[in-house]
Amino acid sequence: MKIRNTVLALIAAAGISSAPAQDQIVIDGSTTVGPIGKAFAEYFMQHHPGINVVVSESGSGNGARGIVNNSIDIGMMSRFMRETEFKACADNGVMPVAHVVALDGLPILVHPSNPVSDLTVEQVRKIYTGEIRNWRELGGPNMAIVFVSRDTNSGTYETFNNVVMQGETIHGSCEYVGSNGAVRQRVQTTPAAIGYAGLGFVDETVKALRINGVMPSEATVITGDYPVARALYMFTNKYPEMGTPLYRFMTLHLTPEGEEIVKSIGFVPVTQYGF
Amino acid sequence: MMRLQTRKLLDRAFAGVGVFAIVLMALALIAILLPIFQRGAGAYVFRATVEHRRQMLDLFERGDEDVLVKEMQKALEARQPVLEALASYRADQSERLNEAIGAADRLAQRDDLLGRRIARAVEQLRHTADLRQQIDRLSRIEQLMRPQSTPDMTDDLDLIRDITSELEVQAAQYGELTERLRQLLGPLPGDEPRILPRFRYGQARWDRALIKQSQLLYIEEWDYSDASAMGRRVLSPRRDLFADTALYPLFEHIENDLEAMLRPRWTFYGRFLTDHSVDAHFFGGIGPEALGTFYLTLGAMLFAVPLGIIAAIYFAEYAKPGRTVSFLRSCVSTLAGVPSIVFGLFGLAFFIYTIRVSPGKSVLAGSLTLGLLILPTVIRAAEEAILAVPREYKEAALALGAGRWRTVLTVILPAALPGILTGTVISMGRAAGETAPIIFTAAVSVGVALQPTEVFTQATPALSWNIYNLATEHEAVDEIRHVQYGMVTTLVGIVLLLNIAAIWMRARISRKLRG
Repeated sequence: MKIRNTVLALIAAAGISSAPAQDQIVIDGSTTVGPIGKAFAEYFMQHHPGINVVVSESGSGNGARGIVNNSIDIGMMSRFMRETEFKACADNGVMPVAHVVALDGLPILVHPSNPVSDLTVEQVRKIYTGEIRNWRELGGPNMAIVFVSRDTNSGTYETFNNVVMQGETIHGSCEYVGSNGAVRQRVQTTPAAIGYAGLGFVDETVKALRINGVMPSEATVITGDYPVARALYMFTNKYPEMGTPLYRFMTLHLTPEGEEIVKSIGFVPVTQYGF
Repeated sequence: MMRLQTRKLLDRAFAGVGVFAIVLMALALIAILLPIFQRGAGAYVFRATVEHRRQMLDLFERGDEDVLVKEMQKALEARQPVLEALASYRADQSERLNEAIGAADRLAQRDDLLGRRIARAVEQLRHTADLRQQIDRLSRIEQLMRPQSTPDMTDDLDLIRDITSELEVQAAQYGELTERLRQLLGPLPGDEPRILPRFRYGQARWDRALIKQSQLLYIEEWDYSDASAMGRRVLSPRRDLFADTALYPLFEHIENDLEAMLRPRWTFYGRFLTDHSVDAHFFGGIGPEALGTFYLTLGAMLFAVPLGIIAAIYFAEYAKPGRTVSFLRSCVSTLAGVPSIVFGLFGLAFFIYTIRVSPGKSVLAGSLTLGLLILPTVIRAAEEAILAVPREYKEAALALGAGRWRTVLTVILPAALPGILTGTVISMGRAAGETAPIIFTAAVSVGVALQPTEVFTQATPALSWNIYNLATEHEAVDEIRHVQYGMVTTLVGIVLLLNIAAIWMRARISRKLRG
């Protein structure tokens, strides 16, 4: 009798709590957009104490997959959705809407001890195709280049692939790592390394290169002078209904507070753009 | 005779190798665990500055406000010379700027269109507060006038050019210096309030403050003069940039009086274990992570232990030896050898996408996945323990007329309990430490501590996952290494405690059974 009661109570509890949760916003996706998502989440929870915003960072591909399967509220992506993903969304009755939350350059990083500080897009491409294998060929010391890339699930990889590689394939001896932080870690510990990560991940332990003579910065990203740049997205299923917590969250990047958060993490606020 | 001696020698050699192996293992354990504990202890016990106490009061409403206000006053008194140096440097700069503005004024004293344009520009300049913008506007005036200048204007134009280029360099150097000062001591007077807590306070930990201090005192540069080698790191004192200016004494204050400015004190921050994180782990503790690990482990146990024991009873007592059973046994063994990431993907595909135990990641889905992972271990341990119960116990029970079920429940299980418990607790340690199975099913990098009723639908941070997340994905991990080590130590501590509990429990129960 007692056992049966407990079981019933448990089932009841499960039933109650598995009702669609209005008090939760689930975010997953790009590790580049991650810092923005996390900072927004904490700022949001501070002002809406009843709402739990959970953020995971497992790559843009998983962000898209979450939206396709309708298992998350916001998919962070550092690339746009692919055609196949759009199609999968439509098949599942999901209407993806893109919100651009910030702009980002893709600094090419080397170890600070590396005397090379200026490369062209073509030179970077040749490094990654394996054509240039030694820093000596670029005016540096005699050292074999260790080139690091993001994994192919990442939107950062896709941007790099489109803008820098332009259809050429990355050489097989490239090292693939799973996150922006891991790229920075590899570069800061390896004098001969070269890698790329989002603007927000550059600190004094690594050196960002001039590309085609332009230093990556907020100003050069906005003007389009820095060649390797992209928009950072958050995708939702349809535009969020006005007044819902999701709506309030998805408009945070347009407020002065959101702008400051984006800026102080190191990215370029969208509100800066314009004429 | 010879043979006996050889045998003795071999014996000793074996014993020696054995002892050596054990010593090596112990050393390795110490070499791995000691640094972890030592560094991790830094998250709990450290020299906290007055900025830490300010945070505690602001963010967690902890501490005595009156005491803190008094302490803060003393700290601010100590910081006063620094602020004064900044103020008098700025005053010197605006004096220089005024010289240039005076020159521009003189240029504006012409009764033509150009004069009026300059006059308007100078007027605008006077309404600009920001030094950098003022410099910008002045140099624009100079560039505008230069092509149309007459010889009598050259002196004033040169003066403006010299002053603006001098101030521009100084403004950049000053900007970097104040940025370092903000990192060390928190916002300077007159700063706009910042939103992210990481910019609202100075360094909370004395060890971090010392690093920031040396970054303020010395400029790190790279010397690339030798083209055939990598650059060399060169540290040059920042004060050299500011020789003969009002800022020069500032460096001495920062170098010698930092303790008075930050007032470090040894502090035990025990609530690191239960506090929630503030601003992506810059402040606060690891409460949600620790609680998440607790929920996940408990959930996995609730799922795996009953199931595992029942399966073990079946294998040991009910199953008739044959092909089916040996096939099932090898299935269990295979399951034990499956890589944990496969369990994680299976959990995602089965529990979340197929049978939808929850709309997305949740503690429930993670617990079920972890439960599957440890199920083989539990089954194996329980089966071994049951088989180890002496046959006579069972025979005696059956002889006294007890049924099979009753025998299992009242005789065999209690006798096997120590072994079952040990296996259970050891797999509990495994469940607490596993990362891969929860990446896709339960773990998030930011989230609040969950209420017990929320575990069915909501995801949670967990220690194992967040250690990985901090190490590889956090944008400013170098600033918060102590949190990462704190998490590692806590996790290792929990697993160690569980294992010790297992040993203790086993000893206690078997003593009871014997006595």
